[in-house]
Amino acid sequence: MSTEWAIEFHALTRRFGQHTAVDALSLRVPRSSVFGFLGPNGAGKTTTIAMLLGLVRPTSGHITIFGHDVQRTPTTALQRVGAMIEYPAFFPYLSGYDNLRVLARADGIAQPHARIQQVLALVDLAARSKDRFKTYSQGMKQRLGIAAALLNQPDLIVLDEPTNGLDPAGTVEMRELIRTLASEGRTIFMSSHLLHEVEQVCDQVAIIKQGKLIASGKVTELLHRGQGLLVQVTDQAEAAVALLGKLDWVNSVRHEGLTLLIDAPHERAAEINALLTRNDILVAEIRTREASLEAFFLQVTEQP
Amino acid sequence: MATLLHLIQAEWLKLTRRPLIWLLYGTFVVLLLITFAALLFVVLLHDGAIGGVAVQVLNDNQINQFRQELRFPGVFGALLGQINSIGGILAMILAAGVIGNEYSWGTLRVQLARQPQRGYYLIAKLLTLLLILLVGMLLVILAGGLFTLIAGWLLGNLGRVSAGDLGLLLLGMLRALYVMLPYVLFVVAASIIGRSVLAGVAGGLIFLTLDGGAGTLSFLSQTDNPIVRGIYNLLLQPNISRLVAQHRQSFGTDPTAVTGLDLSTLPPTWQAIIVIGVYSIVFAGYAYVSFTRRDIVGAS
Repeated sequence: MSTEWAIEFHALTRRFGQHTAVDALSLRVPRSSVFGFLGPNGAGKTTTIAMLLGLVRPTSGHITIFGHDVQRTPTTALQRVGAMIEYPAFFPYLSGYDNLRVLARADGIAQPHARIQQVLALVDLAARSKDRFKTYSQGMKQRLGIAAALLNQPDLIVLDEPTNGLDPAGTVEMRELIRTLASEGRTIFMSSHLLHEVEQVCDQVAIIKQGKLIASGKVTELLHRGQGLLVQVTDQAEAAVALLGKLDWVNSVRHEGLTLLIDAPHERAAEINALLTRNDILVAEIRTREASLEAFFLQVTEQP
Repeated sequence: MATLLHLIQAEWLKLTRRPLIWLLYGTFVVLLLITFAALLFVVLLHDGAIGGVAVQVLNDNQINQFRQELRFPGVFGALLGQINSIGGILAMILAAGVIGNEYSWGTLRVQLARQPQRGYYLIAKLLTLLLILLVGMLLVILAGGLFTLIAGWLLGNLGRVSAGDLGLLLLGMLRALYVMLPYVLFVVAASIIGRSVLAGVAGGLIFLTLDGGAGTLSFLSQTDNPIVRGIYNLLLQPNISRLVAQHRQSFGTDPTAVTGLDLSTLPPTWQAIIVIGVYSIVFAGYAYVSFTRRDIVGAS
């Protein structure tokens, strides 16, 4: 089945008793993209990923992977998927190599030894592959999780917090690995709380809060929406907000103490300065607000 | 079918490399050897072979039973009996570990995300568990056989093993496995429902307690009321006792001499096979439905 979307969530909802973990989530993930799935703790990210992988059943709505319904045809839908969910889970008494051998046997992979060696080398774990999993550091466990996700040469790779426990060098390596996988035409769907990392590797992101989608789009577009001006006034911050809020070209304005956070074009800075001064509000500083995914994330998730 | 075979291969690798299994089998062999050593000690005391004084606290019939169980082929009946007593408990612990640890380690979600045919996965797991239990039985019989070589030499009568005895031994192993089935399947279902080893072990203990409690109601089997007798004989315990008694009977020893069991009150073999089968199907069905329909991970 040919479709331009790797994943489609259609009004996906999951309730646990009275608690709605995921609330009518509709989202499309394009093929061959690196898609960041963000949200504060408890936002419903892991439940969504568990539903994507057929581990949790939706209360309503459905998910398709490359056009195949996960609920109705799970084998077909998931056969091209590799995943690491929540944390790297393996048999503690088996070596890294044997853990992959278990998965390769279950998958029915032909010539498993060669493939296992290949993925172990890819995540730089070949030297420790004969050691027991329980002796691995958190970073090594994480890398083995990635190796397991890549074992069956998937077209879609689902990674839940892939940089968890990695040191800075490991994080950079992971970033490079994700880029390499994406360059091979694979789709990466990843959740992460390291927004700086997400900003560097993802083409698109979606942000959920309390199970609901609150923002999604290309990273560049979202960053543009996060841009604006920071104005430091000496007093009358409330009055300044009221004044600036009346302007057509100001999308939004709020204040934190005596700092005004204004969503407006940079080139209007001089006009803002003039307007405030005319109204006896003294301006101590005006500067451009740095555009970052983190700032945008905080902006959208902190709103009530 | 290929999927099932692949999954069984994966399960076999997991189980045969698992230290818990060899620890349980080692424990079983040690307990078995202690039991057999005690039997040998009692017989040697009776014969006055230790310290030159005969200590005769058991009657001749009981001592003769012990002698038969310390030589071939009588030892096979005793070994199969042990497999269904101590071995049954260890099998339940093993079953709880095999299922429950997959939840606590998180390995189940990793595997089911790759293999969404949960039914196949569970069937592969159960078949492999039964295979590994058969391997365990072979080890125990081998250890018991080696001990019997020593005991037979000390007592001056090794006995002999015919091809027919080996056939009966194979049949006995399958019977022992069949007797274990409802207990193992109950523990599997409990581990799935509770998503943990603890739930499986706790469920198994409750089941054993209730099952043992049913054994204390054995006086009901002697009542004149056919309805009460019939209902009692639908419980698991008397049907299990019927099949377990056949272990010793098939090798020419008398199960009543050692256990005090009254065979005349037990249900017939055909009923025992059906009743144990029905219990097993019910527990397996419950495990299957729970495993295939419930969420693998909870709210997070």
